[in-house]
Amino acid sequence: MKRAGPGRRRAIVTALLLAPSTLWFVALLVMPLVVVLVFSLGERAPAGGYQAGFTFANYLNLPARLTAFTNTLTLAPVGTLLCLVFAYPLAYFLAVKVKRAKLMLLVLVILPFWTSFLLRTYAWIILLSGKGIPSWLAVVGIEGVRLINTPTAVLIGIVYGYLPLMVFPIYVSLERLDKRLLEAAADLYADPIATFRRVTLPLSLPGVVTGCLLVFILLMGEYLIPQLLGGGKVFFIGNALVDLFLQSRNWPFGSAVAIALVVIMIVAVGLATRWAKHQGATREVSLL
Amino acid sequence: MKGRGLSAYALLVYLFLYAPIGLIVLISFNAGRQASSFTGFSLQWYRTAFGNRLMVEALGNSLSIALTSACMAAVMGTMTALALQRVTGWRRVLYDGLIYVALMVPGIVIGIATLIAIATVRDAVNPLLQAVWLDAPRFDLGWGSIVAAHTLFNMALVVVIVRARLAGMDASLMEAAADLNATPWGTFRQVTLPLIAPAILAGFLLAFTFSFDDYVVASFVNGREVTLPLYVFASIRRGVTPEINAIATVVLAVTVALLVLAQLVLRRAQRPRLRAQVPGPGG
Amino acid sequence: MNKREFLHHLRRYQQGSISRRQFLGATGLGVASAVLATELGLRPRRAFAGDIGDRVSLCTWPSYHDPANLELFTQATGATVEMTVFGSNEEMMAKLQAGAAGYDVLVPTNYTIRDYASQNLIQPLDLAQIPNHDPSAHDTRFTGEGAVDGTVYAVPKDWGTTGYVINSSEVTEGPTTWKEFWDLTQTTHSGRVMVHDYQLTTIGNALKYYGYSFNSIDAAELAKAEELLLAVKPHLFGINSDYKPSMLSGDAIMSICWTGDAVQLRRENAAMQYVLGREGGEIWTDFYAIPADAPNVKGAYALIDYLVTPDINAKEVLFHGYPSTDARTNALLPKELLEDPILYPAAEVLAPLEFGATGLITNEARAELFARFKSA
Repeated sequence: MKRAGPGRRRAIVTALLLAPSTLWFVALLVMPLVVVLVFSLGERAPAGGYQAGFTFANYLNLPARLTAFTNTLTLAPVGTLLCLVFAYPLAYFLAVKVKRAKLMLLVLVILPFWTSFLLRTYAWIILLSGKGIPSWLAVVGIEGVRLINTPTAVLIGIVYGYLPLMVFPIYVSLERLDKRLLEAAADLYADPIATFRRVTLPLSLPGVVTGCLLVFILLMGEYLIPQLLGGGKVFFIGNALVDLFLQSRNWPFGSAVAIALVVIMIVAVGLATRWAKHQGATREVSLL
Repeated sequence: MKGRGLSAYALLVYLFLYAPIGLIVLISFNAGRQASSFTGFSLQWYRTAFGNRLMVEALGNSLSIALTSACMAAVMGTMTALALQRVTGWRRVLYDGLIYVALMVPGIVIGIATLIAIATVRDAVNPLLQAVWLDAPRFDLGWGSIVAAHTLFNMALVVVIVRARLAGMDASLMEAAADLNATPWGTFRQVTLPLIAPAILAGFLLAFTFSFDDYVVASFVNGREVTLPLYVFASIRRGVTPEINAIATVVLAVTVALLVLAQLVLRRAQRPRLRAQVPGPGG
Repeated sequence: MNKREFLHHLRRYQQGSISRRQFLGATGLGVASAVLATELGLRPRRAFAGDIGDRVSLCTWPSYHDPANLELFTQATGATVEMTVFGSNEEMMAKLQAGAAGYDVLVPTNYTIRDYASQNLIQPLDLAQIPNHDPSAHDTRFTGEGAVDGTVYAVPKDWGTTGYVINSSEVTEGPTTWKEFWDLTQTTHSGRVMVHDYQLTTIGNALKYYGYSFNSIDAAELAKAEELLLAVKPHLFGINSDYKPSMLSGDAIMSICWTGDAVQLRRENAAMQYVLGREGGEIWTDFYAIPADAPNVKGAYALIDYLVTPDINAKEVLFHGYPSTDARTNALLPKELLEDPILYPAAEVLAPLEFGATGLITNEARAELFARFKSA
């Protein structure tokens, strides 16, 4: 370190720079989560809401919402995988194949985010309802297709909503590759699939992992898409939370479910990051 | 290779992305009330939309909240990102953890947590505020709590983006500038700031987008305020009239116009000067 | 206002010294003229005394108030009406318990009033400030729940029933009972039926299948209801209290439904029919109440007083389609409306219906049952 003077001044400046965000984190992240933790150990007031208490009953009662957890932990990875499968070719196309207007095509991918998410989902309700796609299919001869209010509709909604989020990290990863590397690999391996498997995919792994983490994290908390496109018949953890806080108003139990969700997510993300690093996907894996 | 196939695939994806949007825009011109049957072309919904006091108010709220939150997030996030460069050890780990958690915790949990936190704390804080400052505004759910909740996530987002940019910067550049410039503020203003400006801008835009379109957090902490997504959701549940579509189309059109404008400005700015190529992440 | 003052204002208006709006406001004619226009009779309008501030916040249900009436209120008093809409009593209660404040007028349903009062979320009403409310003009069966242990906390707005609506162009069996509703869901009309995302009505009407009380919290009876609901779930189109769009688009052809929604659906599609199961079901009353921490209590009283005025109330009924508890309002309604079986069902149809009991939406057993049903 340098002399005491400038060193200490630097420290003060650093502390000052960090002051606003510290305030924010403490007041709006730590404190609310602590309150949730406290609530999760409390009891349900007779008319709903929270009543002070100290009990682990809410955590022991978590299996009552097991279906919500299993639904989410099944559909979220499936949705993430589907997003990946649909997003990767597009990202590859944009990063490797497109020569001109790259920026514009990229912006076109993210532009849908600038329309109201709710309205886009509502448009899907129309498209998937009886008078939408099923009626077009009936014209072609495929009768009796039910799309709306099914897990399929929810998956369609998920892929639609999260596709751009998956495309971007993969694009960034592929974009930085030296294209000559890919050309050389193509010369070495006669089979394009081998090129992809041995060269392209491993090199783009950081982007793939980032994208998957991003989508998976957001999916774990999702409740609007299941509610709107699943017609109330698809029950995610998010739906359970809304129900517990706004319908049955069992706040202590709801708080326990919320804490459980956060813990699961931290564990899942930690494991995924560890695995990715193990695969040699370099330090760019983390979100930070 | 499979170039032709990939182009066709890309086209399909774009169609998939824009089909619902096309539907939204189409319905906004519907002469009929029902969204499911198109009965003719009409501009009526554009007229009624802007005459709808509640909707215009909701739009105004959304804009002011998003703008405020994005600005605060940009400033605070940048400050934090710069400061964190010099923080090490357990403090660094703690901060990284906080940022991680802020980004990861689902909106619904944040919304609920903030709601019950404010409800719990408010009864203690307000009397104190009154004692200190007689005419204090009531600390409560409302415009302020929405901005505050949004800023948490937005700020963390800006930190991540700016930090990534800072990490990719050449450290020797900073040292050279520090030697040349008398003050650290000078270094910051003339060297660091221009280099991280794209990242700050990107963070600002992302923050604005998230805040403007946020339904989940706002639905919990909004008090009596109505934001545009809340208004849209309430309308959807009842069977929306195409008024909503009109507003959405206008917002989309304004966005596209702004983007085109930005594109033109950028192109104009790029031509005369030779910019130093600083390697950095991101497209 | 006497004749001389009125003529004074009229002359000023004719000369252009005051605007039409000021004239209407000063003479109180603004409200009256609209009433005249709909031929519901001209009643002496009391000009609103005193300033009630510039906004009154109303917390209510969807499609429940005529915007024209609220606009007239604004013209007469200068206060804009902010409307917040909730989807269910549970949601409203949750927000209020969480401390959402700033509402001036609430529209709670009968079974919540005692809970709100005991939690001090609403304040006792000073009926002297609601002169247009005449307790004797209301059927006490409907208004009883507005008072808790003798203290009046709420005045009635309207009443209604919960039955089910069918699209008769596709549902041709002519069902009249809850048994048929639940049976048809599992057989002929599988995949086209909706139930409320509301444990009170959905569990309640499932209990009716077995003839149990709508309000039952008996464990054995609830178990049977759960059995039925779980059996029915795969056949449901959706679990959603916003069923109108799906009914209108044809995706759903049968749904649990509230009175006024049935009227509004029938306006759009004459094939919509409302059925009250013969085994019984729910009858309810909605009230006006004032939250304990309402910021604008004067405005709240003014708004409530305005909305319970018989001729204004009659216009409201014409808009939302829910029947009124007030005999004076009913006297102002057209005959076809009073004989409409949806709004004013025959006495024998009403007889088996039950009012939702207090404590039902806070009952943990029913809430958990419903959560199991939704996650199944």
